[in-house]
Amino acid sequence: MKLASRMLAVLLALGLSMTSLQVNAAEKKEFADTKIVLQISDSDPFKQTLVLNVANNLIKHYGPDQVEIEIVAFGPGLRLLFAENVNKDRIQSLVGNGVRFAACNNTIRNMGKKLGHPPELNPNAVHVSAGVVQIIDLEKKGYMLIKP
Amino acid sequence: MKISIKKIALAAASATMFWGLVGPVQAANWLELQGTEPAGAAPRAKVWGFIQPEYQYTENTPLKAGPWQGQDAVFNQMRPNLESNSGFNVLRARVGVRGTAMPLDSDVNYFFLAEFGNNGITYPAGGLGNARVTDASITLNQIPGARVRVGMFKYPGSEEGLQAIHVMDYINFTQMSNVLLLERFFGNTGTGTAGPGFCPTAAGEEACSNNPIGPVGAFRDIGIQVFDWFNVGKWQNTYAAMLGNGNGLMPNNNDAYNYYLYWSSSLIFAGKGVRVQSWKSFIWYQSGSRSISTAPNGAGGDVEDYQRTRYGLGTTLRKGKHRFAAEYTKAEGMIFNGTDAGAIPGAVSNNGNFIASWNVAPEGEADGWYVHYGYAPTQAWEFDIRYDQLNRLTDNTAGERQFETWTLGAQYFFNRKTRLVVNYEWRYGQAPNEDSSSTPNTILETIDNRISTEILMIF
Repeated sequence: MKLASRMLAVLLALGLSMTSLQVNAAEKKEFADTKIVLQISDSDPFKQTLVLNVANNLIKHYGPDQVEIEIVAFGPGLRLLFAENVNKDRIQSLVGNGVRFAACNNTIRNMGKKLGHPPELNPNAVHVSAGVVQIIDLEKKGYMLIKP
Repeated sequence: MKISIKKIALAAASATMFWGLVGPVQAANWLELQGTEPAGAAPRAKVWGFIQPEYQYTENTPLKAGPWQGQDAVFNQMRPNLESNSGFNVLRARVGVRGTAMPLDSDVNYFFLAEFGNNGITYPAGGLGNARVTDASITLNQIPGARVRVGMFKYPGSEEGLQAIHVMDYINFTQMSNVLLLERFFGNTGTGTAGPGFCPTAAGEEACSNNPIGPVGAFRDIGIQVFDWFNVGKWQNTYAAMLGNGNGLMPNNNDAYNYYLYWSSSLIFAGKGVRVQSWKSFIWYQSGSRSISTAPNGAGGDVEDYQRTRYGLGTTLRKGKHRFAAEYTKAEGMIFNGTDAGAIPGAVSNNGNFIASWNVAPEGEADGWYVHYGYAPTQAWEFDIRYDQLNRLTDNTAGERQFETWTLGAQYFFNRKTRLVVNYEWRYGQAPNEDSSSTPNTILETIDNRISTEILMIF
């Protein structure tokens, strides 16, 4: 009984400390000095590489905890977030560094009409009602828009 | 019907019809690079191509023996016309377009390429030449683990043939590829009834020459291929199975088909695409029936079917500044057997009795192999050395010929897409079962060394 109590206390302590760490990590992102929204709306495959390179370079320069980055994809640029996109490993790596990816629902709907079914997207993509609206909202929150 | 042994014995060299150009070895996944487009990132239509102007030179040593002694030797002439020992040429000028039919759907890709240069594809027997489509295919990627490619494209096989020609390290193929794999299509085996098996002058130049009836196969076929690759940790395994006409760039001309099997395993070190750093090993097999006339003197009729089988294995390595490759090919049936006594097809013998022919040994055997090493000390320079050996008609004591070539090469990269290539080849031939002073060996002494240079630009 005593042993069980002790083990429970240790587990609780561990849980609290981990929560604290998570909060601290989130708090660090929240206090990032630099906030960037990257737009990709082109069909040019080179732009896909470019926007990912820019995100990577920003993280390298500022550090993953000092810069917030969201990549908003709409129009033909939504192809970047297709599930089987050749850049999916790079996307996963950027997600690991806190980069967020937003997918425009309007574009998803339009592409679905052309394809006959909704496109299958990268599981890291967060659906937003409209890509351009997402960009405007982020700018209002202090994000700087960069369109590579 | 069998080929005249005597004729084979005197048909010394001339395996060196260098219609194809390009050197070996990269460690890339060519099935992926040529047959598919990057998922979700391919354009609807990407226009691309490359241009390869070249210069080649031999000393043009005339034939030292045989019925055409003193005349030009076929192996010292420049292809495709075989009318000069040196000169400039636009060896290849290809323009293509590739992409996805519908960018939203990565599951359907296409690849189209056409040749406008001067080589065995466009000038198989000299003449005015014709631009020709070399690739026209559609790839369907819907089935996991089994992509389907349909149309005209490179068949899965030897690395030297399969790799993209515009990234090869050398200008000329190895003899292994040039003779055993770069298929020529003749209507006749080239046997004759005059002398030791030559074509009599009375039959006429056109019949005797036995010129190709179509473009070289260019390591391509028209058919359907199932393929895919699987990544297991750092290993990438690739398979392919293809069924084709077995008639190169031309429609099927018999009721038979050619089938191809391929497997490769690559240990990926770094990078991707054409210049991936990896160590790849591969094995392949192909077989199919060919129809050819065995009537002598280029007469029609007497068409018979012969099995053409090729198989081989090899390895390639690209890591840091080092490149290495080695490959072996075994050939059974339909062996390209050069020309009569090293003469240029259509040439009349000194005594006026014979006209030289192209020859095919429909039931012969041969094998070949090469080893290559390259070193790139900087991004701008690469130095290459290659040894290749061809053993032709190993099943025929009198007709067996052995060819060895040492190639020394240097490449200067103006940029990643434009480079200057210079090659020097030491070329040797011998009839290993004949006396050194025999007519065949004396003819083979005629083989000159060769200087080749080209500038290659990819756009």
